[in-house]
Amino acid sequence: MAKRKGFATWRVWALVAVIALGTLAVVARLVQLQIIDHSEYADQARLMHQNHETLSDRRGAILDRNGHPLAASEDSFEVYVEIKSWKDPAKAAEAAREIAAICGGDWEEMVATVEGTDVFEVPVAEGLDFAQSEMVKALNLRGVRLVRTSQRVYPEGSLASQLLGIIGRDNVGLTGLEADLNPVLAGQQGSLVSERDGLGNPLPIGEQSSVPAQRGANVVLTIDRYIQRLAERELDKAVKEHGATGGTIIVVQPKTGEILAMANRPAANLNAPDLSSDSALSLLRNVAITDSYEPGSTFKLITMAGALDTGLVAPGVWWEDTGVFYVDGWAIRNWDLSANGSLTADQILVKSLNTGAAWLSSLLGPERFYDYVYRFGFGAPTGIDLSGEVEGLVRTPTNDPSGWRPVDMATNSFGQGISATPLQVAMAVAAIGNDGLSMKPQIVREIAGPVGTVFEPEASQQVITPESARTLLEMMGVVVDGIPAHLLDVQGYRVGGKTGTANIADGSGSYKDNAYISSFVGVAPLEDPQLAVLVKIDEPKDVPWGTVVAAPAFGNIVQDALAYLKVPPHTEAMVSAQQ
Amino acid sequence: MATAPKAEPARHVGGLLRPENLPVVLTIAAMVVGVAALLPLVQSSSSTSTAGDIQKLEDEKTGIQAQLQELEIDVARMGSLEWIEKGARTRFRMTSPEDTIYLPVDSTPPEARKIPDRYLTESQGTEPTGGSSIWEDVFGWVPLP
Repeated sequence: MAKRKGFATWRVWALVAVIALGTLAVVARLVQLQIIDHSEYADQARLMHQNHETLSDRRGAILDRNGHPLAASEDSFEVYVEIKSWKDPAKAAEAAREIAAICGGDWEEMVATVEGTDVFEVPVAEGLDFAQSEMVKALNLRGVRLVRTSQRVYPEGSLASQLLGIIGRDNVGLTGLEADLNPVLAGQQGSLVSERDGLGNPLPIGEQSSVPAQRGANVVLTIDRYIQRLAERELDKAVKEHGATGGTIIVVQPKTGEILAMANRPAANLNAPDLSSDSALSLLRNVAITDSYEPGSTFKLITMAGALDTGLVAPGVWWEDTGVFYVDGWAIRNWDLSANGSLTADQILVKSLNTGAAWLSSLLGPERFYDYVYRFGFGAPTGIDLSGEVEGLVRTPTNDPSGWRPVDMATNSFGQGISATPLQVAMAVAAIGNDGLSMKPQIVREIAGPVGTVFEPEASQQVITPESARTLLEMMGVVVDGIPAHLLDVQGYRVGGKTGTANIADGSGSYKDNAYISSFVGVAPLEDPQLAVLVKIDEPKDVPWGTVVAAPAFGNIVQDALAYLKVPPHTEAMVSAQQ
Repeated sequence: MATAPKAEPARHVGGLLRPENLPVVLTIAAMVVGVAALLPLVQSSSSTSTAGDIQKLEDEKTGIQAQLQELEIDVARMGSLEWIEKGARTRFRMTSPEDTIYLPVDSTPPEARKIPDRYLTESQGTEPTGGSSIWEDVFGWVPLP
């Protein structure tokens, strides 16, 4: 009996020992998992459950000088589908049909998109507005989720398209101001680290830490949407009327250097930009600063400015035009091959005489002539806050000692053999309208954000004396007085300007046949210039003359813009004053 | 022979451990353990519920912000020059003027338009916000090395 009792005790103890050993083994394993290797397993778990997201806030808007948005961002939504939830073809088709009914698009294409990938989830619809996103959410479809993103909208359509530029799918600016001001407009990205359950849904009480994204600043431009639209309307009209290949119009405030309008044609459609070919991409280039041209007779203003400023001529000084001016054995003739006999110096501009301009440059000599050319801003970037600006081409005895010849200065004096961007020409004339003081061109007026920045007008240099500038303005007024009223007649204001008709270089040292650039550059009103306007029309098919092709657009812009800016007309134009 | 009286077991605690009281003690212990186990569950449930409410409110806020942005864009579109001109030409049958006539008006001109406040971005904090699970907080109270 005692023996049986001892056997039982032994068996109990053996069982206890086994259980104890087992327990010890489990405890040891737990100690290893939870204490010794804790950090390793914790990291693995974190990797599996933690979700890292990059947060972006709304991209800043681009506003015109009065706060009207030219480009802004709004939320849009994308529909993502988890591919394993659409494994059943019937259920997938049903869900796709429901989504397509709300978002538009082809439901079969949605199903094919999901079937054709092996990633975790794919987008099947994009560009949904808030109402559509709520409708999709209400469907409560398994494996379907909405991702908030944003899209760029252009309330004014494609206004100032090359200036504004476009952004990519990742909300990064690609061209124009969108690219140049991307760091300001995009703001700062934030981050979100959160825990998700096995199905990928966020855990409400899970670990979470976030650095909020910082919203992009809004940028206020110097552009005035009304004047910009006016410029684009007149540009379209001139290009269409004369069968031209394109053109540029720039409107500047001479006193501040602020660009009120910068329009180019042809232009890209901002709402559906075509990036498929080089020619399509070229429509996004702001040719007002990236392309140079030979300014032609408008450049005679620069030659005359130098001659006036050095006191070599005055408007009433007499000069003999024999119809030909010889320079170093080369004969310079007028555009119409005319010989005008005795005439005053201001007639050089009125009749746009090449011989007269060559004569003026010979009086100045190369050193002074090119000094004035550079002082007016040619041959160097203007310093506008836009990338891609070229400096144009000015060949001088200094920078091209072997290639430059005296006849080059003669041809340069009437704007051939020298190239400039449309902006350089506009800014040069703006300096004449600002008592000879050139201003740095300004396109960004203010960055409106937590740390706002307001940009003030910046003077460059006194190019010519105020007296010379006033004299030149009067001569420009005489030029306009000689243009027939049906081509240029600004009611209520006296304006001044200069036409230009230039050959186009073909890139091989010669000029294209029967291809011209017609231009008009001027200021208004003449007594106290508030606007400097350049109109440049490329390769008009009917007539090449700037007076016919470009001057009417100048007149129409100035007429509307001065009234819009509430610039008082001269007293004779006031109805009550007449009565 | 006189014998000393046998000492009675202590009534207060020891009495509870008597076999006849054991079921009561075990029941009470089970209840205490049950309540203790339920407490974190209740707390966790409450936290989950609150976190859910917060997320719901965040979603509502996001939705309202999205609607606000859409309305802002609508306002901008309706104030666009193209829209205004279209309205003027179609609804009011207006045309561009043939001649410009200037009349002196004896009143002060309107003030220049100011940038609307909605485009002046409010200051935003950049301090990171951190959170932790309730269990991390609980274990944070335990004086462990």
